[in-house]
Amino acid sequence: MDRMIHFKIKRQDGPNSPPYWEEFKMPYAPQHNCISALMYLREHPVNIKGQRVAPVVWESNCMEEVCGACTMLVNGVPRQACAALVDELEQPIRLEPLTKFPVIRDLLVDRQKMFDGLIQVKAWVPLDGSQDIHLHAPRISPVEQSLRYIFSRCMTCGCCMEVCPQYHDGSPFVGPAPLGQVALHNAHPTGGFFKADRLHAIMGPGGITDCGNAQNCVKVCPKDIPLTEAIGALGRQTTVQWLRDLLM
Amino acid sequence: MATSAPGVLERNHFLLRRLHSLSGIVPIGVFLIFHLLTNSTAFLGPAHFDEHVHSIHSLPWLVAIELLFIFLPLAFHGIYGVIIAWQGKLNANQYPYMDNWRYTLQRVTAYITIVFVVIHLLHFRFAHWFGVMEYKAAKPLFFDFTQQGFLNLWLPAWLWMVIYVIGLTAAVFHFCNGIVTFCITWGITVSVPSRQKLSVAAGVLGFVLLAWGVVSLYAFGRGRPEVAEPGANVAAHAARPAGPHASP
Repeated sequence: MDRMIHFKIKRQDGPNSPPYWEEFKMPYAPQHNCISALMYLREHPVNIKGQRVAPVVWESNCMEEVCGACTMLVNGVPRQACAALVDELEQPIRLEPLTKFPVIRDLLVDRQKMFDGLIQVKAWVPLDGSQDIHLHAPRISPVEQSLRYIFSRCMTCGCCMEVCPQYHDGSPFVGPAPLGQVALHNAHPTGGFFKADRLHAIMGPGGITDCGNAQNCVKVCPKDIPLTEAIGALGRQTTVQWLRDLLM
Repeated sequence: MATSAPGVLERNHFLLRRLHSLSGIVPIGVFLIFHLLTNSTAFLGPAHFDEHVHSIHSLPWLVAIELLFIFLPLAFHGIYGVIIAWQGKLNANQYPYMDNWRYTLQRVTAYITIVFVVIHLLHFRFAHWFGVMEYKAAKPLFFDFTQQGFLNLWLPAWLWMVIYVIGLTAAVFHFCNGIVTFCITWGITVSVPSRQKLSVAAGVLGFVLLAWGVVSLYAFGRGRPEVAEPGANVAAHAARPAGPHASP
């Protein structure tokens, strides 16, 4: 009965207020993950000093590590809090908001920058309509399909951006996740028609050249997306595109 | 996104970044290999060294070659490189992956190498700005001139050796690690296994270059084992106090 779960949470009351640490203890129960534990704390918002405080604010959605909403620093490493099992974590469990995005409140951050990045690199397949063009869907091999499927699992969670030393407030770098989506959409049979557009979008400031090859992104990606290989492949594509622009 | 019209740097961003990457290999890296190879002949004896340096000095258009293939690329790579390095926020303490340490060391060794190259140029190439005889005038006794630079100029010999070993190690690491990142940047090595193999090869090259550098430093630092040709040291360093060469 004495066994407790000990949290140390980095809180912030608003976008412009200073952050502070607050500790919480809650009764142990097996098989908690960080989000289910935060749900308990929301019902019992009493800190370690016994003071009743405003409940900790966080974001979560799917509870199965596919939406990316609950991404935060758990013991210093960015990951989905719903997939961070309390029984496997060292206590006190430190929860902090991601540092590369503006904090809205407590553990809730605004990841809009990443979606802006996806727009910047044109990470989509344009369609000119939904009418029947009397052609079969383009065929790709199962091997290709399974490779691309890995890239399609990107949930824009921001783990790769968090650990990237080149991605921060003072840098125009678009970050690893949007670059992975460029690789995916360039490989798509119809998306490939707009390959040059996407390559041009990542050849300017903040694009592929701003990668510093620290290769942290691939180490923390919860979906095992081979981001550094995507960046290498895009390095090759942009090299060819640059020569093509120069000579043709 | 910037609202003002893009400047020269922004418009040529891709070209400049790729030139920065390329210039580290060709011509600077190639120069480093030949420079250390030539220096290593000092270990084989003063006559070998003098002969090789003499053959370099016999090249036509030497000043133009030096300016175009050494000084200009070095200045560009160094200055633009510092601008790039400022864009990174090192985080190897928090995320101590090996690749992240290499990223960090690539920047640390860059700064060390810049300082070292300036010292090295003032020490030998531009020492005549400080009243020392110009290196060209040492012809054909380049070994003796170089040795005097280590043993009887400005700093104690042991301190020169420490400075040179640090500078040599930094430059060699920066070059060899740079080969690996160059191949990622240009899209030559895309897959992780190909990068690992190249890392091993670059490591082997690094040890060879380091060995060449260390044996040449040893050759200059140990003092002259055999009897000097008549007038060798005197001619080269009339202005210097002629004293016994301290062995480190």
